[in-house]
Amino acid sequence: MGLKRQKKWKQKKKGKGKTTFYAYLYSAPSLILIGLVVVFPILYTGYISLTNMNVYHWFDFEIIGLGNYERALLLVDSGFLSALLATILWTVVNMVIQLVVAFVLASLLNIQSLKLRKFYKTLLMFPWAMPGYVSILLWKTGMFNSQFGLLNQWMEKLGLQAVRWLSSDVSAFICCTVVNLWLALPFMIMIMDGALQSIDKSYYESAILDGAGWFKRTIYITLPTIRPIIAPAVIITVFTTFKQFDVVYLLTQQAGAKTGSHFHTLLTYAYENAFITNNYGYSSAISIIIFALLLLFSWKFRLKEEP
Amino acid sequence: MRNRKKMRKRIGLVFLNLFFIALCFVTLIPILYALSVSFNAQNSLLSSDFSFLPEQFTLDNYREVLFGEDILVWFGNTAILAVSTVAISLAVAIPAAYCFSRRRFPGRMAVIRALVLLNSFPAVLSMFAVYRLLRPLGLINSRAGLILVYTGTMAVFSLWNMKGYFDTIPVELEEAARIDGASTFRLVRLIVLPLAKPSIIVTALMVLIYVWNEYIYATTFMTGEDKYTLAAGLYSLQATEMSGSWPVFAAASITVSLPVLSIFFLCQRHMVSGLTAGGVKG
Repeated sequence: MGLKRQKKWKQKKKGKGKTTFYAYLYSAPSLILIGLVVVFPILYTGYISLTNMNVYHWFDFEIIGLGNYERALLLVDSGFLSALLATILWTVVNMVIQLVVAFVLASLLNIQSLKLRKFYKTLLMFPWAMPGYVSILLWKTGMFNSQFGLLNQWMEKLGLQAVRWLSSDVSAFICCTVVNLWLALPFMIMIMDGALQSIDKSYYESAILDGAGWFKRTIYITLPTIRPIIAPAVIITVFTTFKQFDVVYLLTQQAGAKTGSHFHTLLTYAYENAFITNNYGYSSAISIIIFALLLLFSWKFRLKEEP
Repeated sequence: MRNRKKMRKRIGLVFLNLFFIALCFVTLIPILYALSVSFNAQNSLLSSDFSFLPEQFTLDNYREVLFGEDILVWFGNTAILAVSTVAISLAVAIPAAYCFSRRRFPGRMAVIRALVLLNSFPAVLSMFAVYRLLRPLGLINSRAGLILVYTGTMAVFSLWNMKGYFDTIPVELEEAARIDGASTFRLVRLIVLPLAKPSIIVTALMVLIYVWNEYIYATTFMTGEDKYTLAAGLYSLQATEMSGSWPVFAAASITVSLPVLSIFFLCQRHMVSGLTAGGVKG
């Protein structure tokens, strides 16, 4: 079959067909692997989302149409809409703090007379270098744990009562934000630092000669110059923040060790419905909705930058 | 006047340095705390006068981690998974990335677009579907199944990242060699691969770190403790014996992190250039 086709192509247009054939031949292992492990499960998830599959209907499930989507999108107390709102709030809060803090710290690191810059940078890179899940678990046990967590030891020293940091929604949200910032800031600082270093110093010199203060220099020189440089990294970070699973799951939602907080991002919500409450159909519908949202975002942002 | 200005600058610099020292210390508190607990002999966890320097130095917790737990078995599992995944990933991604970078053929742009979109799909979301598909094939609780999932998940990234880097290598070099009569295979082996070394190293490292750090598939798909990866094992250490083993858990965390930390700091320069040239630029 392959040979025949190849011959036919050869006769038709000599160079072109052969190139196409070999290009696909050599890409085949990679593309087949992606097809099997990534594309097909997504399609299958789409199929499951149309059924009533759950623990009781593991084999004898039936197609129920768009019922799961209705439940997610139209029922106000289904939990999906509140998870969506929480995720948006989470993304906005995290991104704003991240950008501001990273900008300030990178600016401080770029002050000319700071000789130990490299040393500080190396130390500040540690949270990025550590395996993410290890850091999160260390935060959970080392900082937030109600018995031997450092925070509660300090509270005790101050004569205050021990607090169960991860058990209520608001404080769990704050704790997750702190940990997420701790994990994500080093990367952002690196990006900002690189962008700041790429600015031509002569701009500032002439601006100072013209009498522009720090604030004016920032608004008119620094920010416009670094914007296009940091934009791709910022967009990627928005995506990873929106898709955050590890921080929230490991801190508060671990299977068998839930802390009682109801703060969910979309991903932990979908996970809970698949593996804890075993509503496979419903969870798949949520997965497809999340995927659609992500497609919408990336269609708006990333594809524009392609040549 | 001048002196005063100099003085002010110097004081400002002192404050700046103090600020950064404090910041670095605060940033490192969780790691320092774990380090100190893992080396501490007394179980002084509940006493209120805790210090960041262990009062009585000991290596017992590390001994317990290395010989009391199954960490060596887990390390072996992780090593098998990591080596196979990296090898397969590179073997399938390099030819594909080269074709997508150098050849023009129908469907090329469509596949590239699809890859960008697929890259935004979080693997957790299709985990249940993957589980249901692998179970009838007997690939649950088996290394082969996990390797399949890992290579497939990282295939999008590997292809994309290396294609981006191949794009930056000038075609003229290859054309010159082709005029001299070199076949495509020779050309790739002798010219392209040596030039693409930074990107290949970075891709391999990213795949390696991914396998090293992946816990959710490893805990969901592998049920026997003898098949756990390091990540899954560490996860089980904290989940089963919450309070009792905090020092052991801290020691295990440090042990598991060390390889990744050293890879990161050794390859920091490569990381930035290899990633920005290929992946991040998209």
